[in-house]
Amino acid sequence: MFQDHIKIKNMEHIELFFKSIFIDNMVFATFLGMCSYLAVSKKVSTAVGLGAAVIFVLAITVPLNWLLDQYVLQPGALSWLGAEYADYDLSFLSFIMFIATIATMVQLVEIVVEKFSPSLYNSLGIFLPLIAVNCAILGGSLFMQSREIATLGLATTYGIGSGIGWFLAILAIAAIREKIRYSNVPPALRGLGITFIITGLMAIGFMSFGGMLTGGDEEAKEETTVAAQVVPTEMNTELANNTKIEE
Amino acid sequence: MGLLSKKDAALIKDPLADNNPITIQVLGICSALAITAELEASIVMSISVLFVLGVGNVVISLMRNIIPSKIRIIVQLIVVATLVIIVDLVLKAFAYELSKTLSVFVGLIITNCIIMGRFEAFALGNGPWRSFLDGIGNALGYAVILIIVGFFRELLGSGTLLGIPVLGDPIEKTGLYAFGYENNGFMLLSPMALIVVGIIIWVQRTRNKALVED
Amino acid sequence: MEKRTDKNSYTVIFAIIMVLVVGSLLAYLAASLKPTITENQRLEKQQNILYAMGVNNNDESSAVFVSTEEAPKLFSDKVSEQIVLEVKDGKMISQMTRQEYMDANNGQEPYLIDVKKQKSNAKDGKARKLPLFVGKNKEGKTVYVAPIYGKGLWDAIWGYVAIDENMVVQGAYFDHKGETPGLGANIKQRYFMDDFYGEHLLTESGAFKGITVAKGNADPKNEDKMDNEVDAIAGATITGDGVSAMIKSDLKLYKPYFDNLKKQAN
Repeated sequence: MFQDHIKIKNMEHIELFFKSIFIDNMVFATFLGMCSYLAVSKKVSTAVGLGAAVIFVLAITVPLNWLLDQYVLQPGALSWLGAEYADYDLSFLSFIMFIATIATMVQLVEIVVEKFSPSLYNSLGIFLPLIAVNCAILGGSLFMQSREIATLGLATTYGIGSGIGWFLAILAIAAIREKIRYSNVPPALRGLGITFIITGLMAIGFMSFGGMLTGGDEEAKEETTVAAQVVPTEMNTELANNTKIEE
Repeated sequence: MGLLSKKDAALIKDPLADNNPITIQVLGICSALAITAELEASIVMSISVLFVLGVGNVVISLMRNIIPSKIRIIVQLIVVATLVIIVDLVLKAFAYELSKTLSVFVGLIITNCIIMGRFEAFALGNGPWRSFLDGIGNALGYAVILIIVGFFRELLGSGTLLGIPVLGDPIEKTGLYAFGYENNGFMLLSPMALIVVGIIIWVQRTRNKALVED
Repeated sequence: MEKRTDKNSYTVIFAIIMVLVVGSLLAYLAASLKPTITENQRLEKQQNILYAMGVNNNDESSAVFVSTEEAPKLFSDKVSEQIVLEVKDGKMISQMTRQEYMDANNGQEPYLIDVKKQKSNAKDGKARKLPLFVGKNKEGKTVYVAPIYGKGLWDAIWGYVAIDENMVVQGAYFDHKGETPGLGANIKQRYFMDDFYGEHLLTESGAFKGITVAKGNADPKNEDKMDNEVDAIAGATITGDGVSAMIKSDLKLYKPYFDNLKKQAN
């Protein structure tokens, strides 16, 4: 029984994880973080650096902003301070608070990494300031809020998943851009132009992941098949009444 | 332009073509992709960015000597976010209908890197008047691309412009549809915006060889 | 030479002043504008409910609400009763009239119930309050308007669906916070909302099925009203799925009420 419980919990995490990498890919499905994606994808090595930094920052800021949202910003979130604070609604501040958290975290991470691991700092360092203005990071926190992710653990999974999705995208385009130099692209399309078009084609490819079934969909499917089986003969009406969803 | 010196006029003219924020500086792509399925949305977004970038550039330029360099990114982000939230709140109170149309864009404006990009690259080092012109110029350059993309996507995707049918009625088979023309629903999908921008870059760089990379 | 603005003390002081200025400015604005904004939202809710009921100023192609000036009067004229149902674990536990609800909640009108909050209450295992607005539409038929709430691609989507006592849709209004313009945002266009008119929420045998926003629909002109399907908007799959999901999850909860209604009629 207890093991079943753990299994269900894990399923939820695994589902969200893969969903945020493939189905809701930051770059190909929601087109967030495009600017740095296009600007820093000329070489695989730099792309890997930026991608890793994005995973890292998303994995920290999404859960952090989740806590902020739950205990400060949501309507009624301040009730832990006492009953008289229960009516406060600070949600108009969420944009500013999320951005401030992100910018602060990026700067903090920069300082800490510089202090404790100079080698990592040398490879990541120049990308960190870029990340504060990467809209994929703010997008991650805003999606976390609007999709009402339920627990701190899920928020972390979501942050890491979206980060990996972004990493995957920039790695793929950087590899293509390194190879495409040997192709005969029309001069005017070289560089940025062909990158736009390739990204468009990749995005169309990624749309097919949207057809993947997730746990929730399967449940919905079963429900409709049950309903569809109920042929309106007199014998089956009773059966239909028994399978009514409410009862 | 009698009002502006040659150097000032260049601030407005350059971003329109040779230094366009989208096709050359690679700024503000996310929003250009998200909202260009309709011409009307493109125009609304362009006007909002014009306003935020113009005012924001002036504010940052006025503050440029007192902003501590270590936290300048946070300060810039907060200035944009505050501006946008104030406008959103005021509209919600006094022009509710308008605010419902614009609320979609609030998040996209704050995360629009064209705004941060111009703060960082121009307003931090120039006076308020020149920063204002730079803001207006870049916003117009951004608007040009948005409107071109919006125009083609709406025309080819839904056969309408600003919501008005221009190619005839697809269900009654009038106008162009009488000859077997069909709307290309593909144009409405976001990936097509990327490809349309790619084609714009192609056209632009074919006409101006100096912009070709490599 | 180190610039004055590079010093740590300066940075800290600047940050504190900035936070104070921005914080108090925003807090002041938000607090002083709140009454006007709440009033606007209240009128909008009335307009939405009236729209779903068929009381609107629609012209040939676009959706037009009744004006904000008329809304309060029309709302009190047309909406004859506001019922509040309470549901817990899929079971109806109580039913209140408008008067009973207002007496129990400091005079708050039932149409101001926050659907989002009620939905998250239900998730926490608490009872969920379901408002239902009863009125007569243009043809003089009694319709029941229920609010629904869900998630689209970017953010929240919500709506109001008017149904008759057989759970056949008599009108629908959908809205969204931030769906993609030209794609998902079109759920509030007439051509999408009007498709729902006449669709059945129940199967022929009377089980609840909802209405699915279906791609590759075999019936694009929407002539078959019993198929529990309407035609999807091209390019807006996730928003469409969100609409299907919120219709299914929220309207399902009202079924016991209509079952009771039928039993009483017999």
